Amino acid sequence: MAFIKRAGKAEDVNQKPYTLRTFAVQAVMTVVAVLFLFPLFVILNYSFKTKKELYLTSPLKLPDSLQWANYETALKKLNLTTTFTNTFLYTVISVLILAFLCGITAWAISRGKGRIFQFSFIYFVIGILIPFQALFLPIYTIGYKMHLTNTRYGIIFMYIATGISFGVFLMNSFMTTVPLELEEAARIDGCSVVRTYFVIVFPLLKPAFATLIIMQSFQIWNDYLLASLYVSKKGLKTLTVAIQSLFSAQASDYTTAMAAIVVSVLPISILFLSLQKYFIKGMTVGAVKG
Amino acid sequence: MNKKKTMQDKMNLQYFLLVVPGMVIFTIGVILPLLLALRYSVTSWDGMSVEKEFVGISNYINLWKDANFRQAWWFTIKFTIANTIVQNVFALLFAVALDSGIKAQKVYRTILFIPCLVSAVIVGFVWLKLYSNVLPELNEIFGTNINFLLFGDGKTVLSGLVIANNWQWIGYWMLIYLAGLQSVPSDLYEAAKVDGASAVQRFFNVTIPMLAPAITICVVGITTGSLKVYDLLVSSTGGGPGRASTSVIQMIYSTAISGRQYGYGSAMSVTLVFILLLVAMVQVKGLKSKEVQS
Repeated sequence: MAFIKRAGKAEDVNQKPYTLRTFAVQAVMTVVAVLFLFPLFVILNYSFKTKKELYLTSPLKLPDSLQWANYETALKKLNLTTTFTNTFLYTVISVLILAFLCGITAWAISRGKGRIFQFSFIYFVIGILIPFQALFLPIYTIGYKMHLTNTRYGIIFMYIATGISFGVFLMNSFMTTVPLELEEAARIDGCSVVRTYFVIVFPLLKPAFATLIIMQSFQIWNDYLLASLYVSKKGLKTLTVAIQSLFSAQASDYTTAMAAIVVSVLPISILFLSLQKYFIKGMTVGAVKG
Repeated sequence: MNKKKTMQDKMNLQYFLLVVPGMVIFTIGVILPLLLALRYSVTSWDGMSVEKEFVGISNYINLWKDANFRQAWWFTIKFTIANTIVQNVFALLFAVALDSGIKAQKVYRTILFIPCLVSAVIVGFVWLKLYSNVLPELNEIFGTNINFLLFGDGKTVLSGLVIANNWQWIGYWMLIYLAGLQSVPSDLYEAAKVDGASAVQRFFNVTIPMLAPAITICVVGITTGSLKVYDLLVSSTGGGPGRASTSVIQMIYSTAISGRQYGYGSAMSVTLVFILLLVAMVQVKGLKSKEVQS
């Protein structure tokens, strides 16, 4: 029995006995969890309140009835269909291209022999330490000169360029999990280099891709600096940029702002919760052993 | 032998062709801006005019004398040190707590992780409202007199931001520590127990050394992340009150965009990039030397 349990859910295995001390730890962590949930509760609570309740009742009191009207106003003020579609498009396209590029680049770097590949790896890894946030001025200037600003492909290009070094580093640390013998066998069977990658390596990297996709998605989804520089035109704005302008407009009446926050956080939370299993696995291999 | 060599060469060429596209994109998007920043930092360009007058290193000399820039660095450094300590300690503590055999470990893990999925711009706004509208209510309920208006005073704004930032990121780093803890072989603990090591001794002599790679990642990640702070400030303090919470990136923004001193702002950027690189390299070197081979 114990063996089956261990084989089933490796991360859940705790042979540690449940003592009084464990109970105390559990109690402390429950308090911590409640404290962590508190701001989220406040957001949700406000998002359902009427303006009257906002001003007259305690901020901790639950609303008398759920005000979906706040959500309707938020959708309208955020221009939600457009901003949501924009953010979604930018995130999905950038992340898919990133996954594709980083996977194949990291693989080629780890399989190629010679100085040029070592140099390539260092070149990419140094990029992790170069903060694009500090370089937003020239990033904007280059984008402006290349006619990338206020275009959809421009912002997608920048998300890829700024995410690629971390992606290559992450994917590279997974390459040891792909047995070389398999690749060699495929090669002997006459598989080309590119085909070997797609037929043999690609399917084995699923946890790696899940990790990469989650880590990049929430960064791109939540990005403010690049989006505010690159896509300031009305029809191209992202959720975070639209929300930020809503904050200044709704500074005193923030029930709408809170509803907007709920709307913007939901999709990425759903993505995380559904990919969580792979993500945790990926973190173990990629982050710790890398 | 000869044939084998040409075969490997052929494959290397194919491998290299696969590396090229990513490299080109990365070079245009990150390396080129760095070179441009270096170039603009030695001019007095305003960001608009055609002429870019060469002024040598005078921008850098002026930075050295600029009290506002020093203040921005001072704030950023304090913010970074506080985050690096608080976030690492709590992330590790929570990870150990979750790994100690408590029930429903996954539920806690998810709850602590969720805040990092929220955009920092939103986190700033939410904590602004928490400090100004929600938490003071607790004083009325409990009859206490705690000052929750942390963003309103230059003396408390740093703690307010550190709390908000920690709420957002502790769960993320905890996840990395948790992954590290779960890969520590349990026989190491058994051996230490047999040798009569207490729980505290086991923590410092087994857990910490085995977690060294995770510690490296977390320390470097938190430090470099905090030095780049900007989004969190946009909708919370806006750099205020006064200039009390103006970070380096925020100052670059206001200098170059609102102040039209593009060349001067670029010098700030270059300074930040090099300090970040330096700090990260020193940390990686220092921490790597303490890592044990498992």
